[in-house]
Amino acid sequence: MPLLELQHLRKYFATQKAVDDISFSIDAGQIFGLLGPNGAGKTTLIRMITGIFYPDEGQIIFNGKKFDPQNDIAHIGYMPEERGLYKKMKIGEQTTYLAQLKGLSKADATKKIKEWFIKFDMNTWWNKKVEDLSKGMSQKLQFVTTVLHDPKLIILDEPFSGLDPVNTNLIKDEIYALAKKGATVIFSTHRMEQVEEICDHIVLVNKGTKILDGTVNKIKQDFKENLFSIGVDQIPPSLNGTAPFEVVGNEDLAYVVRITGNNKPNDVLNYLLQRGVNIRSFNEILPSLNDIFIRLVKGTPVSRQFQNVNS
Amino acid sequence: MKKILLIIKREYLTRVKKRTFIISTILFPLLYLGLIFGTSYIAATSGTNLKVAVIDSSGFFDKGKIERENQRDSSSVLTVVDFNADSLKNNFKNWGYDGYIIIPANLDWEKGVRNLSMTTGRTISTDGAAPVQYKLNRIWTSIKNEKLGIDDHKKNIIETSIISIVPKNFNDTKANSDIAGRIGYLAGILIYIILLLYGSQVMMGVMEEKTNRIAEVIISSVKPFQLMLGKIIGIGLVALTQFFLWIAFMTLIYNITKASGGGNQTVSVIVGGVQDTFTSINVPLILFCFIFYLLGGFFFYSSLYAAIGSSVNEDMREAQSLSLPVTMLVIISIAIMSAIMRDPTSPLAVWSSIIPFSSPIIMMARIPFGVPATVPWWQLAASMGALIAGFIFTTWFAGKIYRTGILMYGKKPSWKEMMKWAFRKS
Repeated sequence: MPLLELQHLRKYFATQKAVDDISFSIDAGQIFGLLGPNGAGKTTLIRMITGIFYPDEGQIIFNGKKFDPQNDIAHIGYMPEERGLYKKMKIGEQTTYLAQLKGLSKADATKKIKEWFIKFDMNTWWNKKVEDLSKGMSQKLQFVTTVLHDPKLIILDEPFSGLDPVNTNLIKDEIYALAKKGATVIFSTHRMEQVEEICDHIVLVNKGTKILDGTVNKIKQDFKENLFSIGVDQIPPSLNGTAPFEVVGNEDLAYVVRITGNNKPNDVLNYLLQRGVNIRSFNEILPSLNDIFIRLVKGTPVSRQFQNVNS
Repeated sequence: MKKILLIIKREYLTRVKKRTFIISTILFPLLYLGLIFGTSYIAATSGTNLKVAVIDSSGFFDKGKIERENQRDSSSVLTVVDFNADSLKNNFKNWGYDGYIIIPANLDWEKGVRNLSMTTGRTISTDGAAPVQYKLNRIWTSIKNEKLGIDDHKKNIIETSIISIVPKNFNDTKANSDIAGRIGYLAGILIYIILLLYGSQVMMGVMEEKTNRIAEVIISSVKPFQLMLGKIIGIGLVALTQFFLWIAFMTLIYNITKASGGGNQTVSVIVGGVQDTFTSINVPLILFCFIFYLLGGFFFYSSLYAAIGSSVNEDMREAQSLSLPVTMLVIISIAIMSAIMRDPTSPLAVWSSIIPFSSPIIMMARIPFGVPATVPWWQLAASMGALIAGFIFTTWFAGKIYRTGILMYGKKPSWKEMMKWAFRKS
């Protein structure tokens, strides 16, 4: 059963169709990537899911029922891209306060904070202030405040920006652990290599509409261009149209070829073997999400244009 | 509801625990007392006593009369000398005089003389020369009395029988307009200070949340309106706490000075004044109204300040330019207050004490003059009702702007855009 289902969501602002008829669903326990260039409408979408904005049209189904921001936001943890904490407030007090706002009792909050602080090696921070922390440290703290109340749905907007590789891995492992325990994670970013690594399922939005929806593997299959890398010293020159492929590139010690027509990879291998070519390696080249992303959003202006909305 | 309480608690505790709050709470009454005692002390001791030499060419001012006056009143010392004008001019400083006066020979006792110069080596203001003038005039009067044949008995009759007018409202025989005026003024000023001080605290608090970018984190847990309301109520309670602490301090200091300062004349005058004040006014009513108008005015204005704080970015100047119209309203109220103190029942006074933007200050300035004598019950009721309606409207209005503004980054919005945020559908 999907934990979250968006049905034909629409949100127009004065000069922007920020979200224009977007639907998708996210299964419980999934790590879900919400991708899109700057200004695509990701933040507006997330703000509707967190109850900050009401959609103009469409509806959100959360946990099988119509989304009710009043009660359901207690089950959501949101780390916005524009994040922050009270600079002058003591870290322990502040974390307790934020947890209480999510509905935890003071005793529960304190107990959970202590556990997380031990896990993240933040024991000595309790009586410090946020202004004493470095950017990476406050990032970790922000993550803790987001997941402290055991939310069913965790929304992370660019969670790794400003983190060093060690802390990035620490948070990444936590995200996996939380997903394993049943939490659903929405992960919004531009960093495609992280998406490929972490996400099960992605949705790509551009200019307020959904342009891609599927699992990472399926999308890669859908967008593959029948490219293969063949490790050979030399491809025989006498091709004149009989070869089942064309050479599109030449890296050191390997050729990149595209299979033509209805030929299969085996046909390529047969062709080469018949000509006595010594093959060291043969690999399919799947497009990276980065390539797909760029290909799909290419041609749209770099920054979003203002438009008149007559809704 | 529980969340609003949490927000109120945080806003309240973080502010009350701040060092600046503690310092200002203790310092203000001390400064206030220092001002009272300091000014009366300075007034009593400062102002050097002028020593003035007098060359009397007229023969009216004999040494005996001057000596008698010098003994009666030591705020200046006059000495009749026999030197000639030139040597006095060159030497009066060396001889220890601050200046000298030459009384002309042709002085006519019936006509007198308009102006006599007092020559000095430094600039002395008219106020500074007043004791000398007063003393010379007393002597001059006694000279004229002698010439006219007025003896001490007649003189007493002339001097002691004067008529003074004391305004008395037949509706309210206890009212003392002098004390009422002072209390009203103090109450108005206090509300003015609290509105501006704590109103801008609300604005800064909202700006802090916006620039720290914590606003979005918080409003994913609570509604923007709850956050705004919690902040306003929390800071309002801080203002109230500070006010009560001041009252407690003043009462404490008052009781200590009353107990310890029985012998000191200045202290007992002040103590007496305070006692007079409390017996001549309706303390519970004034206190109740004060708290009502303090909070009402605070809600009315601070929600506007919150809306402004939510609309601007880090730039303090943007906040100042946007909040100027609101601040002007508060300042205009104070200007109206000084105008209505002379006649607290004028139409200006009545209307400005009912319209919510000025009523917190103006009504509070009028109430000490007496309810219902000066302020009829219907006016008080209308004013309170209008203020409640007023702050419900401003909070609603500000809530709409706040909801949009708190998540807006980028250029400063104009008032026109903010109106659009307020009145568009949600």
